[in-house]
Amino acid sequence: MSHPLFQRKNSLFYYLFVWSLITVSHTVILNIGIGLRWEFALWDGIVLNLTYAFLALSFWYSCKFISLEKRNFFPILINHSLASVVSSLIWLGIAYIILVRIAIPDQLYHKFFNNAFLWRLLIGILFYFIMVSFYYLLIYYQSFHEKLLRESELKALVKEAELKTLKFQINPHFIFNSLNSINSLILSSPQKAGEMTIKLSEFLRSTLAKNEAQTGKLEDEIRTAKLYLDIEEVRFGDKIDFIEEVDGKCLNKAVPSMILQPLFENAIKHGVYESIEMVQIKFTCRINNNYLKIMVENNFDPETVNRTGIGVGLDNIRNRLEKAYNQSNLLHIEKENSHFRAIINIPIEER
Amino acid sequence: MKKKLSAIIIDDEAPARDIIKTYLDEFPDVEIAAECRNGFEGVKAIHELNPNIVFLDIQMPKISGFEMLELLDVEPIIIFTTAFDEYAVKAFEVNAADYLLKPFSRERFRESIVKAKGLLKDKSKKREITNKLIHHHDSNIQYLERVVIKSGWRIKIVPIESVFWFEAQDDYVMIHANEGKFLKQKTMKFFERHLNPRDFIRIHRSHIVRISHIKQIEPFSKMSYQAILNNGISIPLSKTGYQKIKDII
Repeated sequence: MSHPLFQRKNSLFYYLFVWSLITVSHTVILNIGIGLRWEFALWDGIVLNLTYAFLALSFWYSCKFISLEKRNFFPILINHSLASVVSSLIWLGIAYIILVRIAIPDQLYHKFFNNAFLWRLLIGILFYFIMVSFYYLLIYYQSFHEKLLRESELKALVKEAELKTLKFQINPHFIFNSLNSINSLILSSPQKAGEMTIKLSEFLRSTLAKNEAQTGKLEDEIRTAKLYLDIEEVRFGDKIDFIEEVDGKCLNKAVPSMILQPLFENAIKHGVYESIEMVQIKFTCRINNNYLKIMVENNFDPETVNRTGIGVGLDNIRNRLEKAYNQSNLLHIEKENSHFRAIINIPIEER
Repeated sequence: MKKKLSAIIIDDEAPARDIIKTYLDEFPDVEIAAECRNGFEGVKAIHELNPNIVFLDIQMPKISGFEMLELLDVEPIIIFTTAFDEYAVKAFEVNAADYLLKPFSRERFRESIVKAKGLLKDKSKKREITNKLIHHHDSNIQYLERVVIKSGWRIKIVPIESVFWFEAQDDYVMIHANEGKFLKQKTMKFFERHLNPRDFIRIHRSHIVRISHIKQIEPFSKMSYQAILNNGISIPLSKTGYQKIKDII
């Protein structure tokens, strides 16, 4: 870390400005308060304060050298006390040479200078500690700032990584069973086999491609989710009854990618996979108070045993929504008797 | 004339049943007796039709293919058909038997039929393989979530959450649950291994009890103790059982 007062153009100017204020008040006090002749008072003020101003710049390096973090309090205090006495003596020594020996050949002033020596020594020590505190404050502020910066960078990284892992993970069961259906259709109905191959490919492509873009239009989400549904309908055609009610105004709204399909997958998995009867899946979407309200409902067999927790898929959605919009509770789950309802509310972002 | 073999296809997906039917076209000596969409239909059809060969999917609604096997009184040749099964893959690699990974080729299917026909001639080998399959499944599942029980024609699925006590009864285990009492042909050892030890404890050779269901422990006689369950029933504690309970509480 280089000297903070040389890092920015203005800071050295402010520093010298403060010292000139001190110089003016110094001169005024000597002239009016003590009755020193004004030209002597001015000399005294300029020489002493300018010298100190430059000397004080070097205190920075003692602050860097004597770090607060690594040592105990007493060694630090002793170090700085010694440094303060030494630098004050050097200061007064330089001032003595310039003022007494060179600039002001006046006996009365010489007497004044000698009498004031002890006071000035104390003032020098006091100034030293003020400067050192100021420098330590700067050091603390800078490292604090850096830490904050690093932390926010880290958070962004973690968030990105999490989003990636929270992305839709393709269920191998689904893929192999779909391939099995295609294999079957090739023999019974090549036309349908072709259609299913295209749908499966499109679906897989859309789930794999959406890694980078984190939001997409709801329209695209619906298309992907329907591809998925179409494929499952080939497998379980006689068990799925799909109904949709989508308000056209919703279609061009932005939503996180791959947020809809897991809702459908959940309905299929717990409704259709686990039921031996027809399952109705109802998809509703409308705008509600600046929120996109997306709802997927299905009936299920309440006797099914292994229905524990809300499931990884829905958990992921909840986490993704929370991270994307910094709002919790954007996913609601309602489960009553044999009816399951997942509702997501997505804040509409004006663009 | 040679007697025809009968087969039943059990799978919850229509295309998956169709491809087996199509592949079977080239085996005129194998006749499809029934197609079933789930384990319930499967159990019923197998008992009614007593087929030689059963093509069985593993992942099906409500009861899995493995669970369905537990309910059978007869022992047909089982050819599993599954897309992706964590336990079964290894099981069949070891046994090199009747296991078809979806999607499977016509050649692979032929091999399977040849194998099945071979096993039909050699009954003892067949029995051995079926038992191995069931056993392998048993040793691979983590903790039981449910138990399927058949009484007459009724099939009952008992969730483990509702069970509070397993009691040994000769070759069977009596399962005491909220819904009532059920007999299951399994060993106490099996249940001891496949119940979460956080929930259940074997306190006696003949008793496995839900820990949260134990109300209190009290002296029974000199040197022996008994557990009182929430519903007031008292069960004797073995010495090791007493130690185990003491460790928990």
